[in-house]
Amino acid sequence: MRLVSFAVMALAGLPLPALAQPLTVRDAFNREVRIETPPRRIIPIFASNTEIVTSLGLTDRIVGIEAYTRYPAEVLDRPLVGGRLGFSVDAVVALQPDLLVVTPSRQAANQLVDPMERLGIPVLVLLQRDVPEILANIRLVGKVAGVAERGDQVAGALQARLDKVGARLAGRKTPSVVMITGQVGNGLMLVARQGTYTGDAIVRSGGRFALAGTARLGQVSPEAILESDPDVLLWAGSERDLEKLTERPGWSDLRAVRTGHAFTVQRAEFLIPGPRTIDGIERLAARLHPPATP
Amino acid sequence: MKIWLGLGVLLLAAIVLAAAAGNMWASPADLWLALTGDDSLRSRLLFEWRLPRVLAAALVGALLGLGGTIFQGVFRNPLAEPYLLGSAGGAALGATVALLVPLLMPQAVLLPVLAFAGAWAATLLVLGISRVAGAVDAAGLLLAGVAVAAILGALRSFLMLALSDETVSLQVVMSWVLGGIQTPTWRTLDLLAAITLLCVGLTSLLARRLDLLGLGETMAKSFGLHVTRFVALAVLAGSIVVAAAVAFGGLVAFVGLAAPHIARWLVGPLHRPLLPASALVGAIIVTLADAIARAALPPAEIPLGLVTAVAGGPFFIVLLARRLRA
Repeated sequence: MRLVSFAVMALAGLPLPALAQPLTVRDAFNREVRIETPPRRIIPIFASNTEIVTSLGLTDRIVGIEAYTRYPAEVLDRPLVGGRLGFSVDAVVALQPDLLVVTPSRQAANQLVDPMERLGIPVLVLLQRDVPEILANIRLVGKVAGVAERGDQVAGALQARLDKVGARLAGRKTPSVVMITGQVGNGLMLVARQGTYTGDAIVRSGGRFALAGTARLGQVSPEAILESDPDVLLWAGSERDLEKLTERPGWSDLRAVRTGHAFTVQRAEFLIPGPRTIDGIERLAARLHPPATP
Repeated sequence: MKIWLGLGVLLLAAIVLAAAAGNMWASPADLWLALTGDDSLRSRLLFEWRLPRVLAAALVGALLGLGGTIFQGVFRNPLAEPYLLGSAGGAALGATVALLVPLLMPQAVLLPVLAFAGAWAATLLVLGISRVAGAVDAAGLLLAGVAVAAILGALRSFLMLALSDETVSLQVVMSWVLGGIQTPTWRTLDLLAAITLLCVGLTSLLARRLDLLGLGETMAKSFGLHVTRFVALAVLAGSIVVAAAVAFGGLVAFVGLAAPHIARWLVGPLHRPLLPASALVGAIIVTLADAIARAALPPAEIPLGLVTAVAGGPFFIVLLARRLRA
């Protein structure tokens, strides 16, 4: 019967209903996002979302990126739809996308969600407040892109690696940690905060926050860091910059510096909430809690 | 008559140019397709997104021109301007509170109300300070305005630091502070158009009394004008106009200063023609400035307030220099 009606519709020149089920999901803004057919032309805004799409094996569906996306190399030749100064609705629409994946940062959600809704282009807004949410995002993008199984696989494998780290560290004494992620012109320092995925990654690597009260503001004075005298000082950046910092008066006396527990972590692993965050957790856990015997 | 026709044609030309301008320029044929209901993605983008924004820019510009004219008239000060007098800063603080502080009212109501309250209170405060200090001259008023604007800006920054959840609200506030036309839906655009027309109509009722006030307080009194009451009324009207402009366009600097001056060169100092002429000039300026903001640095967009500040700042400096020499 259904076959007959399909045939009739086809003969009558009516559009055939898509064979894949239309899909409705809720995103991080609690918006309903309706996907009619699995998207073929995806614009992920920001490195994290690009890496998530890539981890699902969908790199060839990416048709545009923003100016600060540096990884993976295959996508760097795609047209840019925005950068430091915001995002261009024109440039996005010119690429005829059928899915945008954005994170509300640097005006992206503010500038893109409203126009895309008016034009009927689905936008998936993702937040990453902790590490599990990164994995949930991978599953969600997989589902929306029509590769739900692949999403479960990728997220499941990452979860297994997290569990392994967690099991190894269970019951260990946690060193106090300060992770510096940047410096503001006025001398204040940006530190990884509680209640963020970076903070969560530190905790999952077996560290604890040396600075109390960093839940609200991420900018702290250097004095506060010196005062807290952490067991471990982490610098999200280059070795050279870390050396320059630890040579400064005051800093060289820190316990972490004196005992050789000041080291760098990769920005890509702790400041881009994608699959590589798990690499970072494994690496940091190994530094904070070296396996007793190889 | 020629001048009005000229302003009308210029505004129309500015609107067409702005509708064409963007990261991807549209040809007249593209615009025609979009207007005649073509269903392609490109046409829908032009019709649903770019055109409402261009028209909103024109209306915000008109409101800023009006607001500036009223403030310059009521303070008898050619350097008065919503942005410098603190009223725009007050409106922005009100809008920030509406956006960030959880209050028991829908934002759609709260935002315009608090923007207005902020604009009004800030202007009254500036007026009061300069009165108390006995410095109602140009410099005194402006300095009081600058000081109040600085305080309001600091309060706004603090609210943004302390209350934003780093997701959407802070970004909305930022786009407010730097000045940027919020793209309305066609229905909201109708509302904005109605508000603008209403403001043009209401302010024209003040025109004759603004002229009288321009003769000096004593002279105005001898013509039977109740000066204190009229100033209060005019400040209220100006605040409504500024609040509407800020609610849709954020903090757009110097248009309220430049538009009345240009209009004065064209139609003279009498407020009956000056008010609508300022509105037209303001509309032309902001329409063009917004086009530059969208098209100058593709694919990014420059905040509108920065464009008008860079273009309008020197204008202010020239006016200030001429005034100080005089």
